[in-house]
Amino acid sequence: MAMLIIIDQPPYGGWTGREALDMAFSLAAFDQPVSLLFIGAGVNWLRTGQNTSGIEQKSVEKNLAAAPVFGIEDILADRISCERYGIAPPELADSVVLTDANAELLAQYSQAAFAG
Amino acid sequence: MNNLDPHSFTLVITGAPYSTQAPQTALSFAKAAIAAGHAIDRVFLYGDGIHLASALVTPPSDEPHWPKNWATFLEEHEVPGVACIASALRRGLVDDKEQKRYELDASNLRAPFTIAGLGEWVEGNIKSSRTLYFHGDR
Repeated sequence: MAMLIIIDQPPYGGWTGREALDMAFSLAAFDQPVSLLFIGAGVNWLRTGQNTSGIEQKSVEKNLAAAPVFGIEDILADRISCERYGIAPPELADSVVLTDANAELLAQYSQAAFAG
Repeated sequence: MNNLDPHSFTLVITGAPYSTQAPQTALSFAKAAIAAGHAIDRVFLYGDGIHLASALVTPPSDEPHWPKNWATFLEEHEVPGVACIASALRRGLVDDKEQKRYELDASNLRAPFTIAGLGEWVEGNIKSSRTLYFHGDR
């Protein structure tokens, strides 16, 4: 069973989400099955066309685009969170799968972790 | 596996001492776990949790010294304490090796903590029967 790394923090304004992504990449690098779930403000990671030139930070869009290449199995987005933040499917990156983050989903994973 | 079987734990601390209660709660858990016959495989400091491994932390004398208390626990029970290298370097926690590599003026890692990669967390996650996370403010 895969591990689920949950990102519930926005992509900018804090470092926790980036450190969660590093955890996922690290698991994948050691051939451990891992998927990502974006929920709450974390769904803002998934917007396409992010422009970070005004805040001197790297766009997380590129980082995330590398996830399938590095062997991260699924990139999941919580449906209700996407609705709440006004993110419609066309605005989501292609590799993202809409899901309902509930007990049934979590039961499919060996464990779930946040970065902070 | 029932509740009486001994567990081995990897503890992940992501909250900094004196900003959060995470290191304190984790230490209380670790002591209780060992007292109950369980084992602590390793402690992994991630994100702001790396501040626990600073040799320069200096709380007022009438407050608990969490870095010192943790270091004492790790030595007593021979538990490896590892700070994530990426988290540590960003936040100004370096050992002698990283001081030399980056030509810095000083190092500040408290013994017996070491600095290593996230692979240590991955390994702990595989080897331990449980991995527990002690976060700051959530």
